[in-house]
Amino acid sequence: MSVSSFPILLTAIPLSFAALCPIWGMWKKEACFPWSVAGVSATAFISWALVSKFSAVGTIGYKVGGWAPPWGIHIRIDFIGMLLAVVISSAGLLILIYSWRYIVHEVEEAKIPYYYTLYLLIFAAMLGFSITGDLFNLFVFMEIFSITSYALVAVSGEGKALRAAFKYLLMGAVSSITVLFSIAFLYSVIGSLNMLDISKRLPNTPYVVVVNTALALFTAAFAVKAAVFPVHMWLPDAHSIAPSPISAILSALVIKMGVLGIFRVVFTIYGHGFPSTSNLWSSLCGFVSWAAAFSIVIGSSMAIIQRELKVMIAYSSVAHIGYILLGICMLAPRGMTGGIFNIVAHAMGKACFFLVAGSLIYKHNMKRIRELRGIGRTMPVTAGAFAIASLSIVGLPPSAGFMAKWYLLWGCFQKGRYVFVAMVLLGSLLSAIYCFRVVYYMFFTGPRLHTQKVDEVPPSMYVPAALLSLGTLVLGIYSTPLISAINKFVGSLPVK
Amino acid sequence: MKWKKFAVVASLSVLGLLLAYAIGEMPSFGSKNTPDKLHVIPRYLQKSEEEAGAKNIITGVILNYRGYDTEGEVTVIFSALCAVVALLGREKRRLSRSGVDAAGKPTSVIVNTVVRFLVPIILFFAVYVMLHGEDSPGGGFQGGAVVGASIIIFTLAFGLPKSTEKIPLGFRIPLESIAVFAFLSMGFLGMLFGVNFLTFILPGLSHELAHTVRFLMLSFIEVGIGVAGGIIFTSIVFSMIREDEYELQPDLSQS
Repeated sequence: MSVSSFPILLTAIPLSFAALCPIWGMWKKEACFPWSVAGVSATAFISWALVSKFSAVGTIGYKVGGWAPPWGIHIRIDFIGMLLAVVISSAGLLILIYSWRYIVHEVEEAKIPYYYTLYLLIFAAMLGFSITGDLFNLFVFMEIFSITSYALVAVSGEGKALRAAFKYLLMGAVSSITVLFSIAFLYSVIGSLNMLDISKRLPNTPYVVVVNTALALFTAAFAVKAAVFPVHMWLPDAHSIAPSPISAILSALVIKMGVLGIFRVVFTIYGHGFPSTSNLWSSLCGFVSWAAAFSIVIGSSMAIIQRELKVMIAYSSVAHIGYILLGICMLAPRGMTGGIFNIVAHAMGKACFFLVAGSLIYKHNMKRIRELRGIGRTMPVTAGAFAIASLSIVGLPPSAGFMAKWYLLWGCFQKGRYVFVAMVLLGSLLSAIYCFRVVYYMFFTGPRLHTQKVDEVPPSMYVPAALLSLGTLVLGIYSTPLISAINKFVGSLPVK
Repeated sequence: MKWKKFAVVASLSVLGLLLAYAIGEMPSFGSKNTPDKLHVIPRYLQKSEEEAGAKNIITGVILNYRGYDTEGEVTVIFSALCAVVALLGREKRRLSRSGVDAAGKPTSVIVNTVVRFLVPIILFFAVYVMLHGEDSPGGGFQGGAVVGASIIIFTLAFGLPKSTEKIPLGFRIPLESIAVFAFLSMGFLGMLFGVNFLTFILPGLSHELAHTVRFLMLSFIEVGIGVAGGIIFTSIVFSMIREDEYELQPDLSQS
């Protein structure tokens, strides 16, 4: 097996580990955790190995089954796919290690093998979704990560969790079936499922209405998965009630899949400009960017009024999906850079937030923000990780979130959209309020006794959180390589 | 509330009209020379038997040309099972509150006898459907549904204890993942021979041998899908049956 076969291993390895995980669980329940760590870290290694190949040769393709693209399924790792694959596999590994001690807390022992199996499945499906070049394959992997995420939200078995998962299931199922409809529409008039092939054949099609309907439906459906403002209702419940590692996975990675879906449809398939759709295309981009701007303001304001830490973090995700989609759909080159950069920055910051919230629940069963008095003294690493990550979520230098917002604002100025500038700044101000309120409670209130002993969670729980928060700092300081790579990629897209 | 209902109906009607309009613009059903029939399909129709190794073109497409998608679909079924088990647990547990309520109730002698006759025949038919997927309608998924149906009929007539005795948990768990495993192992087998994942023509073999090997690989996948599908349906139904239903009347199913 050479490097040329690495793209398929990104899904094949975690899937084979997932298929064998219940069998290990039958033998010994404790064996499931090392088994899944082995699978996920092998996959992470492969994704980093692919990065070095990607930087040498550019877009990597792989023909599954040896069939040439329009006939068989073609895996095509372009820049954004590669970026997401690296983010998913690295963050996925850290969150998996975190969940080892945490999950015993919330999930019954008999179900633990299935927790790890579902984790490996959602991991494989997100990777498959990011790297595929085939529209139907995209749908198949979307189904896998949707089904597994409904189950993972409800895995604790409490009534609240079941209700949240059911709400998520209803919205998610409608969006999945809409994607399937749109694929059927597109296939019936184009006759191909390969994304590049479709985008090549689109300009010549006489069936303009069908193609336009498919575009609108695709965007609406993926917007549900991404939880943009008018269709974000499932997110706060599902993300706050799920077990904390799962909240981290959902908020940091799964909603990015909706963003990637919109990106694939709007740019990879429809983006190469042809007269019959360009009207709808640009007005759709305008619509999505307005929805994104509203989710920034509304998500941030809802986050301010929350009393529970995890609900607050969940609403903050709605706002951040807004930053990402505003950047991508505003069609300004710098804004696009900011949006794509924020995918990485938000993944690290938000995963860290949820892991910290999970540690507080694990140690002291603290769910409300008011209860966090003085936690900074007894749990310094956990609270410190939160403080550093909140710099990135608010968008203060030198963190990664600052670079993302800087480029986003630059893009707004490029296009002269001063309303968006105001909304982004307002969102940042509100996020400063809700993040620093928590930091304030953690460090500056409560008993100032020096006799309090440090009482941390186990290292397997604070190390992933600390690494993620340091990651936001490192990425903010050494942002040049990633920013220039994104700029190069944005140069190849139809944005001016 | 009224206003909400009105808004729902209005938005659904707008969506419905939009979809109806788009469907009206699509090439009419069954018409010749539409774009979808001119691009990729001709190759499937003409070369499937030779290239993909299946007389049944649909089998050729789903197992060979687009085998990776089918691997994903098999994984969807496996994830559904994992989801059910992660929520309800395995059978013989008092966790679930919903399920097949009627299961495990004593049935009449007639039903029991008929089921006893039927189950082997259904299973036999299931094997036929699985193995004949290559050249006639059928295949793994359909065969698996039939296997599942036979076991579920048996469970409905004789109760959960009897069927878990016949197919215990330790036997089902490895078989549940066999479909995903079959796909992946065949894919890795190809990679060991130096071709791409899920390529069924292995290099370095003579023409005849390569075709036989391809037939065996495809059949292994078909049977794997069938067995795993059937067992997964069974396990899902078992998870949903409530335990207290049959505890009240323990041995009546024997009579």
